[in-house]
Amino acid sequence: MAVDFARVVVDNQSLVFSLALRFLRDREAAEELAQDVFLQLYEKLRQIQSPAHATWWLRRAICHRCIDEARKRRLRPRIGLEAVPEPFVESRDPDPLLNERLRRMVEELPESARAVVLLRYQEDLDPSDIAEMLSMPVSTVKSHLHRSLAVMRGRLEKREICR
Amino acid sequence: MNLEDELRRALRQEPAPAGFGDRILAKTTRVQPVWRRPVTLAVAAALALAAIIPPAVKEYRRRERGVEVRDQLLSALSITRAQLGQTREKIRQNTRHKI
Repeated sequence: MAVDFARVVVDNQSLVFSLALRFLRDREAAEELAQDVFLQLYEKLRQIQSPAHATWWLRRAICHRCIDEARKRRLRPRIGLEAVPEPFVESRDPDPLLNERLRRMVEELPESARAVVLLRYQEDLDPSDIAEMLSMPVSTVKSHLHRSLAVMRGRLEKREICR
Repeated sequence: MNLEDELRRALRQEPAPAGFGDRILAKTTRVQPVWRRPVTLAVAAALALAAIIPPAVKEYRRRERGVEVRDQLLSALSITRAQLGQTREKIRQNTRHKI
């Protein structure tokens, strides 16, 4: 079955860009990485059997690319505009500060745990799907989720006490 | 507060920047798929030639050898015919003398 690349881009651009943005918290790098991943898919389009397969492939590719990029950045830290909180715009969020704090806490998680949390809460994937996507055992996925939630809960509680 | 619900809210998908898709599609016109790249085509042509040439060379050598063997056989037959002719002539001469 032939896959229409333009359709795949339209249907998945938000997914791929958001995963990269939430992972790296750098709009410029996220856009660059997301574009790269789409171009990589374009080169492998013959191997893609359906739109669902394309979505699966893109999710997997962007996660792995983000993990690699985040590891590189850990070795060569970049200080730039991405370190500055995103400008405050009128938001539909009931608590924009809490959302920003949660995103920052996700950003501070180790790379693998961050990918697991993003796929679970942004993409709403089951632990078994996440395990397949990131090539890790389901038990590891569950352990990452459990530990990440515990860390975030602990930090939020600490913040409440400090107030 | 339900942390998981808050995370879903905080991490919901964000729209891609304006013109994001168009920029990708513009790049695809410059990036040729792997199977259409000159290097890939050259490798494919080389592999095809590598598959075709050795059997063709082998067949050519086999025919050459056949022609060579045929020539040797014709030459041997020609020598044999000449010798047989000489022998027959000698026999005829000897027979004539005896008569």
